[in-house]
Amino acid sequence: MANELEALIRQIVSEIEGAKGNTTQYSAPHTSSTPNTTVVDRVVTIKDYPIAKKHPEWIDLGQGRDLSHITMDNVMAGHITMDDLKISPSILKAQGQIAKAGGRDQIELNFSRAAEMTKVSDKRLLEMYNALRPYRSSKQELLDIASELDGLGAPICANFVREAAENYERRKKLKGDN
Amino acid sequence: MKSKRFEVLSQRPVNQDGYVKEWVEEGFIAMESPQDPKPSLKIEGGRIVELDGKRREDFDLIDTFIANYGIVFDGAQQAMAMDSKDIANMMLTPSVPREEIVKICKSITPAKMLEVVSSMNVVEMMQCMQKMRARRTMANQAHVTNVNDNPVQIAADAAEGALRGFAEEETTVAVARYAPLNAISLLVGSQCGRPGVLTQCSLEEATELELGMRGFTAYAETISVYGTEDVFTDGDDTPWSKGFLASAYASRGLKMRFTSGTGSEVQMGQAEGKSMLYLEIRCLYITKGAGVQGIQNGSVSCIGIPAAVPSGIRAVLAENLVAAMLDLECASSNDQTFSHSDLRRTARTLMQFAPGTDFICSGYSSTPNYDNMFAGSNWDAEDYDDWTVIQRDLKVNGGLIPAREEEVVAVRNKAARALQALFKALGLPPITDQEVEAATYANGSKDMPPRDKVADIKAAQDLLNRGVTGVDFVKGLAKEGHPDVAQSVLNLLKQKISGDYLQTSAIFDRDFNVISAINNRNDYQGVGTGYRVEGEDWERIKDIPNAIDPRDI
Repeated sequence: MANELEALIRQIVSEIEGAKGNTTQYSAPHTSSTPNTTVVDRVVTIKDYPIAKKHPEWIDLGQGRDLSHITMDNVMAGHITMDDLKISPSILKAQGQIAKAGGRDQIELNFSRAAEMTKVSDKRLLEMYNALRPYRSSKQELLDIASELDGLGAPICANFVREAAENYERRKKLKGDN
Repeated sequence: MKSKRFEVLSQRPVNQDGYVKEWVEEGFIAMESPQDPKPSLKIEGGRIVELDGKRREDFDLIDTFIANYGIVFDGAQQAMAMDSKDIANMMLTPSVPREEIVKICKSITPAKMLEVVSSMNVVEMMQCMQKMRARRTMANQAHVTNVNDNPVQIAADAAEGALRGFAEEETTVAVARYAPLNAISLLVGSQCGRPGVLTQCSLEEATELELGMRGFTAYAETISVYGTEDVFTDGDDTPWSKGFLASAYASRGLKMRFTSGTGSEVQMGQAEGKSMLYLEIRCLYITKGAGVQGIQNGSVSCIGIPAAVPSGIRAVLAENLVAAMLDLECASSNDQTFSHSDLRRTARTLMQFAPGTDFICSGYSSTPNYDNMFAGSNWDAEDYDDWTVIQRDLKVNGGLIPAREEEVVAVRNKAARALQALFKALGLPPITDQEVEAATYANGSKDMPPRDKVADIKAAQDLLNRGVTGVDFVKGLAKEGHPDVAQSVLNLLKQKISGDYLQTSAIFDRDFNVISAINNRNDYQGVGTGYRVEGEDWERIKDIPNAIDPRDI
């Protein structure tokens, strides 16, 4: 019961964050699209898998469109772009819960970071990855990225980068250490 | 006098292979180094303060990452207190459920894990692999490349590979700037052979992700991790950068796995005197800690090193097994060429072939050896019939099915024509009817007419600059008369929205039903349980084209 409650709270928090994030997204799917507010209002378990088959209604592509919108006709009519073919934070959270229900806790944490990263543009995400490679960044540069992630509503990622910065300093993997 | 017997033996293929004696200080030891750490775990104030004999203040980046993310504390003290042989025996005992073993394995340290697998011989390890593999149904992966990066040939070989049963196909490049074209050719070809096959293009890390974001590929695998800090740094990454990259993939709905393998640290001269297997186990804990669903391991491209030392091929099986024990999807290598001897390369593969793994090869070359741009594979297109006959002999599912010439010719032609159409739609350098014909019947690139590579490379770059994406492939294929292939490519792109294939060991059937460790959980618990070769699978495996019906005689 406690676990179920915890999962529910996590889900709600993620939904709030997800909705917040969409307003600051670098490349919002559609300027007129509504934020992704589908609330998976219960604990997600292995029984809900696969989501595409069992819960297509959880998938919200904005403007009242769901997975059934992705058809050949709509592609040919130009109604679908790559931006429509993106996973949402709420689905990543749901998949994280499924992974955890299957005994894979670390995958859930990975998907939690991923859910936050949906708020970062492709270009910026690649830049952040490159900045985390050895000898690329000063400690301050990494801490600045962490602050930027915090500003985007991505605290798990921000702390991950901070943790890297501290360890890079200790193990001499910062810019100029090589 | 020279012995004629020894003269004959010296000319045998096995004696063209290189062998070395163990050299502990430099890490030329497969798995039981006296310098490997002894297991220990101390948790204080909610964090690990000692791991395998090392204090937290002495942790390198890898130790720190494993301590912070790789070990589940709940139950750790009890698991560490168990005798390693007892853990091995529980795993070997069919009636002890897989879940129970996984629970213990999640909470033991790398050195303890090393002790557990080091206590077993290969038959015991194979039995454990049969039970510990994450997905119930085994599968296989192909390499699809050629020396000229010929796109039409890639498409045709991909289609044939898909028809023959590969669930995943991987390409790479002879010339890096060809990458977008290779990725498109593989994608289109694979869907012509069997809808639902997953495709990837092995490239530099950031480029590989970019192609995935654009919908040119469906998953990624070449995200390497290493077992010592120095080698990790030389590989231009850290556990944190790779962990970040893993999440980046998931954030775009793309399946991915890490890659590691015994021997890589020795090859880079920084093994710290530890055994190859111990260092590989560290890689697997990094993978686990990063929350990545799976790993490609089994020495992979460093196979020459473990294969040269005593018990090296046993260590390769052990590393695959550790991946499974950590509940990771395991694409178990059987990949790069390591021996001149057909006997030796077969014996090496039986370790994974007989018990079954998530992907027995990672991959099996769908071309002749000379066209394999991953430095040659242990298995080539020329071995297709050997593979399927061995499956039939042993009643084992090795992930392939026997194919008829007319079916192969048909899907190769379909793939070549579909790619011809898509090149036209995208304004790429034309594919001629002569090329389509050649690819339909080719064995390798020697059978293909040359293309204007300069024009292809220029067009590949232009394609990226124009911002072409997977959606444009769907449109182009449909517009040019290949609606079924277009639909399959769209179905594949659609998977990124629901994320079902981000779960452990996920593949698709031809109707895009996901098959993973969640809904196809390995439930082996002894004779009569788990995956059995039966029904339709057995009918297909035993039906080789060249078997005669004795009743006809």
